[in-house]
Amino acid sequence: MPTVGQKLPHDSARGHVTGEALYIEDLPATVGELWVECVGSPVAAGRIAAIDVEAARRAPGVVGVFTARDLPGRNHFGPIFHDEPFLADDEVSYIGQPVVVIAAESRAAARKAAKLVKIEVVEQPALLSIDAAIAAKSWLGPLKKIARGDFDAALASAPHQLSGVFESGGQEQFYFESQAALAIPGEFGQMRVISSTQNPTETQSVVAEALGVGMHEVICECKRMGGGFGGKETQSSIPAALAALVARHTGRAARIVYGKTADMCVTGKRHAYKSWWKVAFDDEGRLLGLSVECYSNGGAFADLSTSVMERTLFHLDNAYYLPAAHVTGQACRTNLPPNTAFRGFGGPQGVAVIESILQEIAEKLGLDALDVRRRNLYRDGDETCNTTHYGQVVRDHVLAETLSELEKSSDYRLRMALIEEFNARHPTLVKGLALTAIKFGISFTTKFLNQGNALVNVFMDGTVQVSTGGTEMGQGLNTKIRQLVADEFGLEIERVLMLTTSTEKSINTSPTAASAGTDLNGAAALEACKQIKERMVAYAADVFAAQNKLPRDPAQVRFAENFVSDARLADPAARIPFGEFCGRARRERVDLGARGFFATPNIHFDFEAGRGNPFFYYTTGAAVCEVTIDRFTGEMTFDRADVLMDIGQQINPGVDRGQVIGGFIQGVGWVTNEELRYDDRGALLSNGPTTYKIPNITDLPPVFNVNFIDNPKHTINVGRSKAVGEPPLMLGIAVWCAAKHALSFMGADQSSGSRSLRIPATGEELLRCISAMPTPVADCTLGP
Amino acid sequence: MRDHLVFYLNGCRQQVGDSRALLTLAEFLRQEQGLTGTKVVCAEGDCGACAVLMGRPEATSQEDGDLVYRAIDSCVALLFQLDGCHVVTVEGLACGGKLSPVQQAMVDCHGSQCGFCTPGFVTTLHGLVETQSHHEPLTSVGGGLSAEALRYALSGNLCRCTGYQQIIEAGESINLATTPRLAELYPDPKLKSELFATVKDDVALAPQNGASPWQVFAPSSLEAALEWRAKHPQAKIVSGATDVGVQRNHGKLELAEVLVLNRIGELTEISVTDGVLHLGAGATWTAVEEAVRELLPEYHAVLTRFGSPQIRNFGTIGGNFVNASPIADSLPLHFVLDAELELASMRGVRRVPITEFYRGYKQIDLAPDELLVGIRTPLPVENERVKLYKISKRRDMDISTVTAAIAVTLEGKTISRARIALGGVGPVVLRMPAVEEFLTDAELTADTMREAGKLARQAIKPLTDVRGSGDYRLQLVENLLAKSYFDLQEVSAGSAPLPR
Ligand SMILES: Cc1cc2nc3c(=O)[nH]c(=O)nc-3n(C[C@H](O)[C@H](O)[C@H](O)COP(=O)(O)OP(=O)(O)OC[C@H]3O[C@@H](n4cnc5c(N)ncnc54)[C@H](O)[C@@H]3O)c2cc1C
Ligand code: FES
Ligand code: FES
Repeated sequence: MPTVGQKLPHDSARGHVTGEALYIEDLPATVGELWVECVGSPVAAGRIAAIDVEAARRAPGVVGVFTARDLPGRNHFGPIFHDEPFLADDEVSYIGQPVVVIAAESRAAARKAAKLVKIEVVEQPALLSIDAAIAAKSWLGPLKKIARGDFDAALASAPHQLSGVFESGGQEQFYFESQAALAIPGEFGQMRVISSTQNPTETQSVVAEALGVGMHEVICECKRMGGGFGGKETQSSIPAALAALVARHTGRAARIVYGKTADMCVTGKRHAYKSWWKVAFDDEGRLLGLSVECYSNGGAFADLSTSVMERTLFHLDNAYYLPAAHVTGQACRTNLPPNTAFRGFGGPQGVAVIESILQEIAEKLGLDALDVRRRNLYRDGDETCNTTHYGQVVRDHVLAETLSELEKSSDYRLRMALIEEFNARHPTLVKGLALTAIKFGISFTTKFLNQGNALVNVFMDGTVQVSTGGTEMGQGLNTKIRQLVADEFGLEIERVLMLTTSTEKSINTSPTAASAGTDLNGAAALEACKQIKERMVAYAADVFAAQNKLPRDPAQVRFAENFVSDARLADPAARIPFGEFCGRARRERVDLGARGFFATPNIHFDFEAGRGNPFFYYTTGAAVCEVTIDRFTGEMTFDRADVLMDIGQQINPGVDRGQVIGGFIQGVGWVTNEELRYDDRGALLSNGPTTYKIPNITDLPPVFNVNFIDNPKHTINVGRSKAVGEPPLMLGIAVWCAAKHALSFMGADQSSGSRSLRIPATGEELLRCISAMPTPVADCTLGP
Repeated sequence: MRDHLVFYLNGCRQQVGDSRALLTLAEFLRQEQGLTGTKVVCAEGDCGACAVLMGRPEATSQEDGDLVYRAIDSCVALLFQLDGCHVVTVEGLACGGKLSPVQQAMVDCHGSQCGFCTPGFVTTLHGLVETQSHHEPLTSVGGGLSAEALRYALSGNLCRCTGYQQIIEAGESINLATTPRLAELYPDPKLKSELFATVKDDVALAPQNGASPWQVFAPSSLEAALEWRAKHPQAKIVSGATDVGVQRNHGKLELAEVLVLNRIGELTEISVTDGVLHLGAGATWTAVEEAVRELLPEYHAVLTRFGSPQIRNFGTIGGNFVNASPIADSLPLHFVLDAELELASMRGVRRVPITEFYRGYKQIDLAPDELLVGIRTPLPVENERVKLYKISKRRDMDISTVTAAIAVTLEGKTISRARIALGGVGPVVLRMPAVEEFLTDAELTADTMREAGKLARQAIKPLTDVRGSGDYRLQLVENLLAKSYFDLQEVSAGSAPLPR
């Protein structure tokens, strides 16, 4: 029985529920192992005048204290621009930026010693907010631009225009397992690094650079992460490099595990954005032109900020056709930790802008916002409105069907009428309802990253090991690939084992990101299976022909139910058990292992021209959300959600559903209560779960329907599936639009009321809009 | 007098008399026992990843002789608090080599993704199953757990990956009838008899051979506690450690000389006499929550949002009062009901009105030899209405930004007496005498309350902090009083809050 399409449990679920699944902090210590702590910059900007480590060096249990001078290799790294030092040696650019590394016999000793380090800095003025960076023209990378048509002309001739400023705050990944790495020194300066990373190849290369050795002398492994969400795409290499530095100097294994607060304070997050927009539209709410200038708070170093901004520009249309568009994006350099990938990767910051604009257009025209959205949807096959502002045709989708089905299944019209009635009479509460959509481009926008490789080993007993460049962070990648491989050989799932991801087995890999983990690595694994099967089929054809006196016909060889068979032989006894078959094949010197490779076809983008097909396909969906807001306190409750997505043929409906729900709720967190607050020195105040509030189980809507829509038009990609990791996150924006809708009932005038609502819509933010009370200092509420 | 702790861990006897007693339970499990299934994420009681089950003899259980198991956060529990307990971790839940029905449900329903939060959910779910045999059933039809009961019980467990829905589905699929309770998983009579036998011992721990000085005293009687307290006025008092443990993990507190109160049965008593509610300082929030369900439904509603179930299972009302946070959720009610605190020492017992107990930010009227032993609160009278508010960023497991209690006594539509207390707007919880005076003899109307809100706003100068700006707090206070007009129509001391 094929396993694809079945709701098999997560590969590691048994380990999760018994506590047997090990994470880096859980690995048994080797003899002599050291704990590593890092001491960071006390200020956001300045030059180091002196570093006093003497007291720390003498502290009990301390084995070594290291600074930039002790790095054998280069002190610079970075995924796009090599602009970030491992250890600051002169300039410091954010609070907590690593300066000193301490190695001690125990965690407690290392922590105590860390407190004894004195870093003297000549402070310089820090740039913290986007506004401050704009004023200082403090940029990361060049301005990016995409344009189509003549926006100015569209604006001048349009019956209606609106303009505004849209602000969204950053978001902490809040993976449960903090950044962690264990470095184990090998012979002759070689290094093995076990890292909680989405990006073993990058970690390998960064560690090699830091140590001044070749990549061939460094191995990076990752069994599983306790969550990643993008936060371990680039930034996991810093702790890995620091642990490796200690291991190199001491010759002892070295482990680093960030505490939660340290992790939140020093690692990058989703970028805060501020975008100035103008929109032109007709009486029906049809978009005629859109211009948006986006600025993101990139933090102190480039990290992935420019790439994140590209994806924002690619998603300012979301699911809607823009006849004329002029969009620009600039990442700002500030004195915060370098912001980085987080599920959605700039997409949410683009999608939220257009969804907010559509909500405002509806409000301005007195139209239903769902009607306005429907009028603007990309229409499959209609050349007048199926091309994005960057020139890619949006094809083979079911966006219109999704909206219609949701409208019905969520009782949208009836509930809208009830809400209007409720709002007219309730003294203390006001409700809102909104539908928003998503069309999310699948592929890395950096073309070369769209590749994957995998190793498949079939043993002579018929069991199989699979290893890919993809990493498991809970998303179920390994579970899905295991299913794909088991089906390919017609095996029960237990006979296939997923191995720890390691740069020894898969080389030059891309990060597990951009929702493309299964697409790339699953396809690569299948490619490896195909090579092995070709050899098996050739051999099996010989065997069946010889045993049964039949003409040799490889096309008749079948792999199913743990047997190899010839389709022409009805007798079950004629089948060969897979294990026996493999043993025989080996004795006949058939190669039962293979490495598979996959590169996504037909993608290209010309950044100069702003034209091309950056995406292999799009994952789409929509959600209808209802909220209730207390008119007096701004407290909001989330009453109901109906989510409908097209994710193609599901490889594992249990895993996929989990991705949709988990992503959606993370998006809800971003737009509601996840608020990063900094002090005026640039120190993060909301730096633990006590003050940074991710959604709780009681924040789930009591009515929560998650469904999937069929899309027979989607025929590409592994098993005709679609990537599912990121897209649902952006449906959380429906909650925010529902809040905006609710505020529109409160008679607050257009300038101070619902129109000024920012992300996140915390109780404080909602009450600010409701009462149009003086805006608290920007730095203190939204974060810079 | 015993010089070591005795407790059981996953059915095995443990004896600790050395400085390991000063570790948190999570540290002990992970570092000393290699039980790494228990995860530590925040080390401040705010995520539930470290939740384990703690079984101990409780007042209600003494007759039938069963331990009562409850989930607690092991990252803030200290080993020295666990004398006489049976600790069960995620590793101790499998039944005869097979996954427990709870574990199996989590596997089958995709209740885990990255798995880091999962051990905490599994133990807490088992804790919920346990309560089914001891308290009124929270069950729905079909012998399973209802979504509502699950949300309530799991509100102290965060998960970043799953979005919770599949965890709720896992919970709903658990068959309560066939899920073994911990007493069945650990039937060894020796375990129970030995733990029950510990109840009467006083435990005194100190370094064996003059290593760095520390000492812990965990008496079983108030008398012994007071006596020791008089001799050790510097010692840190620990009840549930849900404040102390966090401070210790943040490096703000070194635990060297400790008086542990959580084994003193007489401190946990709760009673009502002559219209006065007496809450023993050692009563856990879970116990208080149960006790006030009918007596003070408004209070009960706030307490269901106090910390998390794990925090309420171990944290005490006395610790909350002495911790003296201006945003303590418990305080405003007791302020408007004119509660008195009972303070005991070898010199005797004295009673202090709550408004006089708090003298300034974290300044309280407690002598170095005294312990808080109880809180006496007159219950609302017939025509008195009480409305409580807890405003926090997130509904559950969040510290308040502003708290408020509004009590009015009504003669017809006229307010004959008004008492208002606000938290989070000053260094201590504040009564609002000017507003109270304004309201006295006024008619309860929307306008009156709106005006009262404006007055209250003028009486406070709240600070800006990570939980909210000063402006926000001002606006909240003004609006809460205005809003209370509507809520006071709905509530009385004996009715439920306005449905949402
Ligand atoms: C995650 C989390 C969430 C929380 N949420 C809330 C919340 O929503 N609302 C809220 O109000 N609080 C909250 N708290 C704070 C805390 O849980 C409460 O204050 C709790 O009631 C403290 O009780 P305890 O027994 O744990 O006190 P402990 O930590 O043991 O002690 C607290 C203080 O009181 C002293 N003390 C304890 N008992 C006595 C006594 N009998 N006599 C004299 N001194 C004594 C101690 O020396 C210490 O200074 C939260 C804490 C955590 C960790
Ligand atoms: S680790 Fe977060 S509650 Fe204990
Ligand atoms: S499964 Fe990852 S945090 Fe819950």
